Amino acid sequence: MIGKLAFRNVRRSARDYLVYFLTMTFVTALMFAFNSLIFTKDIEEMFEVAGLMMALIGLATFFIVLIVAWLINYMVRFMLEKRSREFGIYLLIGMRKKEIARLYQRENMLLGACAFLIGMVLGVLLQQVILAILYSMIRIKYDLHMEFNQYCILMTSGCYAGCYLLALFRCGRRFRKMNIRDLMEVQKKNEEVRESHEQFKKWLFPVSVGFLALFAAFIFLGGIKGGGQLLFFLVGLVLVIYLFYIGLSAWIICYVRKRGNAVYRGQNLFLLRQFSSKLKTMSFTMGTLTALFTIAFLGCTVAMMFSDYQNKLLDVKFPFDVQVNSGDAEDDFADEIQLIGEEAEILDAFAYRIYANVPEDALTDLQDSLSAGQTDGCEEKVQSADTDGCKEKVQPADANGCKEKVQSAGTDGYARRPDQVNIWLSTNLKVFGKMYLQEDGSPDIEKIKKDSGGVYCYYDTYMKLSDYNHLRRMLGYPEVSIWDNEYLIHVKERIQNEVDTLSEDVIIEGSQGELKFAGYYSEPFSQDGHNGGDYVVVIPDSQAQQLVPYYSELAVDIEGEAPAGLGNHLDDLNGSDDEEEESEDAEEDQDIAGHRAMSENSCCGSDTIIVMSVENMVRDNLIPETRYMLSTLIFPCFYVGLVFLCVALTVLSVQQLSDSAKYKFRYSVLRKLGMNRREIGRVIWKQLVCYYLCPVLLAVVIGGSISVFMSGKFIFYTGIHSAVFYYFGLSFLLFFGIYLLYFITTYVSFRRNAGAED
Amino acid sequence: MRDYIRVCDVEKYYGNASNVTKAIDRVSFTVAQGEFVGVMGASGSGKTTLLNMLSTIDRVTAGHIWYGDTDIAEMKENALAEFRKENLGFVFQDYNLLDTLTIEENIILAMTLHKAGKREIRERCDEMLRLLRIEDIRDQFPYQVSGGQKQRCACARALINRPRLLLADEPTGALDSRSSQTLLETFTDMNQKMKATILMVTHDAFSASYCSRILFLKDGRIFHELIRGSKSRREFLNEILDVLALTGGEGSDDR
Repeated sequence: MIGKLAFRNVRRSARDYLVYFLTMTFVTALMFAFNSLIFTKDIEEMFEVAGLMMALIGLATFFIVLIVAWLINYMVRFMLEKRSREFGIYLLIGMRKKEIARLYQRENMLLGACAFLIGMVLGVLLQQVILAILYSMIRIKYDLHMEFNQYCILMTSGCYAGCYLLALFRCGRRFRKMNIRDLMEVQKKNEEVRESHEQFKKWLFPVSVGFLALFAAFIFLGGIKGGGQLLFFLVGLVLVIYLFYIGLSAWIICYVRKRGNAVYRGQNLFLLRQFSSKLKTMSFTMGTLTALFTIAFLGCTVAMMFSDYQNKLLDVKFPFDVQVNSGDAEDDFADEIQLIGEEAEILDAFAYRIYANVPEDALTDLQDSLSAGQTDGCEEKVQSADTDGCKEKVQPADANGCKEKVQSAGTDGYARRPDQVNIWLSTNLKVFGKMYLQEDGSPDIEKIKKDSGGVYCYYDTYMKLSDYNHLRRMLGYPEVSIWDNEYLIHVKERIQNEVDTLSEDVIIEGSQGELKFAGYYSEPFSQDGHNGGDYVVVIPDSQAQQLVPYYSELAVDIEGEAPAGLGNHLDDLNGSDDEEEESEDAEEDQDIAGHRAMSENSCCGSDTIIVMSVENMVRDNLIPETRYMLSTLIFPCFYVGLVFLCVALTVLSVQQLSDSAKYKFRYSVLRKLGMNRREIGRVIWKQLVCYYLCPVLLAVVIGGSISVFMSGKFIFYTGIHSAVFYYFGLSFLLFFGIYLLYFITTYVSFRRNAGAED
Repeated sequence: MRDYIRVCDVEKYYGNASNVTKAIDRVSFTVAQGEFVGVMGASGSGKTTLLNMLSTIDRVTAGHIWYGDTDIAEMKENALAEFRKENLGFVFQDYNLLDTLTIEENIILAMTLHKAGKREIRERCDEMLRLLRIEDIRDQFPYQVSGGQKQRCACARALINRPRLLLADEPTGALDSRSSQTLLETFTDMNQKMKATILMVTHDAFSASYCSRILFLKDGRIFHELIRGSKSRREFLNEILDVLALTGGEGSDDR
């Protein structure tokens, strides 16, 4: 009998709490689909960084389980309250509390199981969509196929069951404390509006708004410095999110009590009172919803940023089909060319040198160190330019030499130094801020030298015009010509706007004296270390006599796509060169992504956030890999964003819908007071809009300021061409799409419920 | 006295083709301006149905209800809402106060829906609170005050717009005898001092004895009418009890 009762109750609950049921279904589907990203075999085999995806999805899952558990717990308590009269009747006819508790738990389990099963079916479909998106992201053809990995199913059901266990954990206790009278009375009890200390509480509202303004001002003016302030603002934000609603409710109550003019207009009195009492009883829930919305916004924004980066910048990052770096300035790349030739059809293979203006006294040391074939140094960086110097071996001899040069340059400061461009960039680019400036505003040369080999090389990097034009031809750019007494600078597009005065501050000397500046070029040119870091100075061949080959590069143009694994083969090739050291260095040579780092006498450029500077760059290998790495960030962010959004919206909807019985009475009173159906419709509309908009508005303000700030930084550091509001705008649109869906569903059912007596 | 409300041959059926219930069966009567009319009858006799039709909450199946020259049976939904707002006031057994509003705000709300000005609202509201002796609880919420006070608040809300007719559905149903008496005295006051026309549905003889005329309803028809005239309330009460005893009283249906 109890089983039958439970089944019937589940059917009714599923109908009454359709939104909740659908959300649980959707959450299951999302869980399954995203978990399957971890267990996709193809990908696991393809990328060595597959573990990263697992870690990040796992992290996302952790938070999602917590939040979904909160949702279930909330709903369980909520339904318990709404059905208290029914439970009272069960007690009245002689059921024991334990039996009722078991009945209720069984119902919830059944409801959960139904949602889970339907969710899994939906999940298989969603899995196809998500895998198709991922595969198209990493440019691999995807054939639709069902993937039922048992671990994936196990993990999904594990997470789901975990949510339920967490949620139902404390449910039994509530039943033990029940008594029949209370249960029967709960329904009859009117909403008790307890007003106390409202005058005091209302100040929380302006204080919260003030804090938000302060927060916005601080992050936009770049004022948050240090852990202390960050902690202050974080704690403040959490407090504000919760106190805001208490303040707002008190503010409205005080306004109504003061009988402000708006109170006497139309249905305002009714709306204001409804809203304030709702806020008052729900301030904690509202705060939590705001927090969820904010996180959802931020998650989507981050996902949008990186996906935009994928679409716009990745191709620009790797202009050449294959590019190989060698620390050996005399390398002829014969082995590499042969290997590439074996695996693909070479259209053009061009080996060239990058030069430096090395002072004579430092020359012998440089050559010593180069011939030693050092190959540790700059790797893939995901953080800002804080790499320590990796060139100590070249350093010692030249310190004096440099100083002498500076002295001879006299008033020019560091002009004519062999690293004048590096110094100029280190002290003038916004990326570095005041990092390399001394207190008096002059360059902190010692620090620059100490850090060289990271962002910039130890010396400025030069290229011969003939080499430059050959490379331009390979990339399909028009060739350039300059006079014999001129030079040009090829810079990354990102910094082009910042280097206007560079040409005025540096003095480039050729073999026949000072050269004149002929202009900047900024096409994609592989300047994350290969063709210089950020820049390369191009001088006529005839002027390059006093320059020393610094390191060698090979650029290869091949027919069609490069075969998978070419990059790894090239890495292996280099590895076998210095076999005697291999046992020791093999581990160190490999960076996170499993590629060889570049030679010591190169650098990475000032790009941050995503930098791929590896010795052997094969575009068609690296792009999918980078895309995959980015998608390990993008997917979990979307995942978290979507789930949080749905959970928050479910709570909002269920709250409103289950209150519609109470509202039915209120609207019938309004009807008797002479409001017609259209007017009541308008009141319902206004009420729902207020209720729905309130937590979102706050989340938009908080999430919006943080997003815009993050986007600004992202755009600044990556040099991507997007407006600051772009990412937030996109997530906002996505957000509102889902939001509108929930709103319309709620509005329609709410009207039906509340106006049922018509 | 001029006939103020005329109910002509009103019928109301519920149900479907196979199972029709006649809730009201060709009922006709008139109410004059300033009258305090009671409608009595056992449960299921059609009292509340009649009241609902008079109050435009429900529609007649056949017949007409004239308020002056206006036949509300012919009016459209929106016009009815407007009519309700302008002409009718309600007092119900379960008060129907909004629990999120204070006593005073419940009264104000009725006027703000009429788009009255701030000053007028305040003056009328103060006057009503004073007349119904609920000034001291004006800032309390409904759950904080007694049933009698709630019902007086409902009366104030019903009367604040000076309706042509005050409809009361078992107004004393949920009150103790002391509060009932106070409320009924209030009704009499409203009727006599404020010239309010009142139609009260009740099955309680004591409450009915405050009326000036009583219609007895049975199975959807009016089967008797009592007029108080110059009789004392006690005499009138006895008459009512006699009628109820004759017809088996209200209890006969309940047992």
